Amino acid sequence: MRRSAAQYLVQPLLRSRRFSSSADAGVGGSSNSSSEKIVAAVLFERLPVVIPKIEPIVYAFQEFSFRWRQQYRRKYPDEVLGKGDARGKGDYKIDYVPAPRITEADKTNDKRSLQRALDRRLYLLLYGSTYGASDDNAVWHFPEKVYENEETLRLCAESALKSVIGGLNHTYFVGNAPMAHMVVEPKEDSQKPPSLKRFFFKSQVIGTSNLHIGKCKDFVWVTKDELMEYFPEQASFFNKMIIS
Amino acid sequence: MFPTSRMISSALKTLISPQNHQLVRRAPVSGTAKGKAKLKSGQPLKRSTVRTKKAPSGDAPRGGRSRNEAIERVNRMVDSCLNAPTPVRYLTAKERLREAEREKLGLISKDRQREIDEAKARAKSGKGAAEGPVIMGTPGLDYITLGLVDKDAIPKYELTVEDGRRLAKEYSRFLMRRHRARQAAETTLLNLKKEAIAALPDHLRKAAMVPDFTPFPANRFMATLTPPIEGYIDKVREAAKQFAGKEKLR
Repeated sequence: MRRSAAQYLVQPLLRSRRFSSSADAGVGGSSNSSSEKIVAAVLFERLPVVIPKIEPIVYAFQEFSFRWRQQYRRKYPDEVLGKGDARGKGDYKIDYVPAPRITEADKTNDKRSLQRALDRRLYLLLYGSTYGASDDNAVWHFPEKVYENEETLRLCAESALKSVIGGLNHTYFVGNAPMAHMVVEPKEDSQKPPSLKRFFFKSQVIGTSNLHIGKCKDFVWVTKDELMEYFPEQASFFNKMIIS
Repeated sequence: MFPTSRMISSALKTLISPQNHQLVRRAPVSGTAKGKAKLKSGQPLKRSTVRTKKAPSGDAPRGGRSRNEAIERVNRMVDSCLNAPTPVRYLTAKERLREAEREKLGLISKDRQREIDEAKARAKSGKGAAEGPVIMGTPGLDYITLGLVDKDAIPKYELTVEDGRRLAKEYSRFLMRRHRARQAAETTLLNLKKEAIAALPDHLRKAAMVPDFTPFPANRFMATLTPPIEGYIDKVREAAKQFAGKEKLR
């Protein structure tokens, strides 16, 4: 089973077109782990809380079909139909006013809150120093950790997230494998490492609506469009990596 | 010859042996069995009294009347349901022809008459007033009031077949475009994943290829129409506890 999967992976790679910047580094695979650093980064996302907006044409068609069907439906008198409401509601069903879909965080555009864009996914970005950049400038980056000798890369990613959030109770890592990788080419600066491979792991927020983020100067929860603004030069890569 | 049944008194009948009892049952005159053994002459026949359940007249007439009214209301509701009209009558082609011919003859059925009346009423009053978007679903929680759809952006249409076809084509085109885009995006995701796994060093790659069978978290929140209200779940739990408490008292 494993052998066939490996063959399945290697063959397309041998004849692959270069549609990401990592193609030349990716072909080697097993060699030179000493000179390059491997970094496990975490794409921490909060799934949408509310259903997304509906296009007018979709709604128009649904309305049309609804009215068309209603034409041939019998009109029952109201006293017959009203019986359902008359049945006493139990005390435990309290009448409620539905909460608005556009929250206060939307109005104030508070990027640190998780209540912001409820119908879209939010991704966590940290502002601080990372391995790839030098220690003086802080950059916007995903929570990440350099791989030392742990068992798997996923454990490395989990510890990265744990150091930021404080615990793994509210996270769910999707699968053991990374979802994408990025190779950061070295610049002319001698301090920089030879090359850096950043592997992204996907994980989701479960069961909480606010998290305390520590160990960084600043953090934001951003939607996909805002993410593009934070990373102008890698925008196309993130466009492929993140769907919405 | 055995003595006839008429001669034997009822007290002695029980003493007669079963063999004789069978013979005793035969009618003396006609020679056929006519069930004389069970009946005694002069006894009233059991089926003559017809017992009906009458509402006890001892109740005040008030009680009886409300019960009648309730029965009446139920009957009325049932009738109105069974004969409930539809806004547009569904007629097959043959029925339509028949209706047209009947109109020529001057006979108009009740349904047709109702249609004509409704059309007249609508023409008189409804010429100015447009209908406005029909509310689909529970009022207050439907898509328009919640802001999911822009009311103005909805294209105008009539309830005709051609308009329906046009709307359906646009709807289908739009959704198919979105579906194909989503499929393409998912394929790129999978390709990125493949590359990433291939770019891993050997031992890490083996670990990454192991499928993760831990079950999904049970408390994953599903996207709903409106966001959850703070503190609502506590209210519900409290009220449920009180409700359960009441049950136990009984």
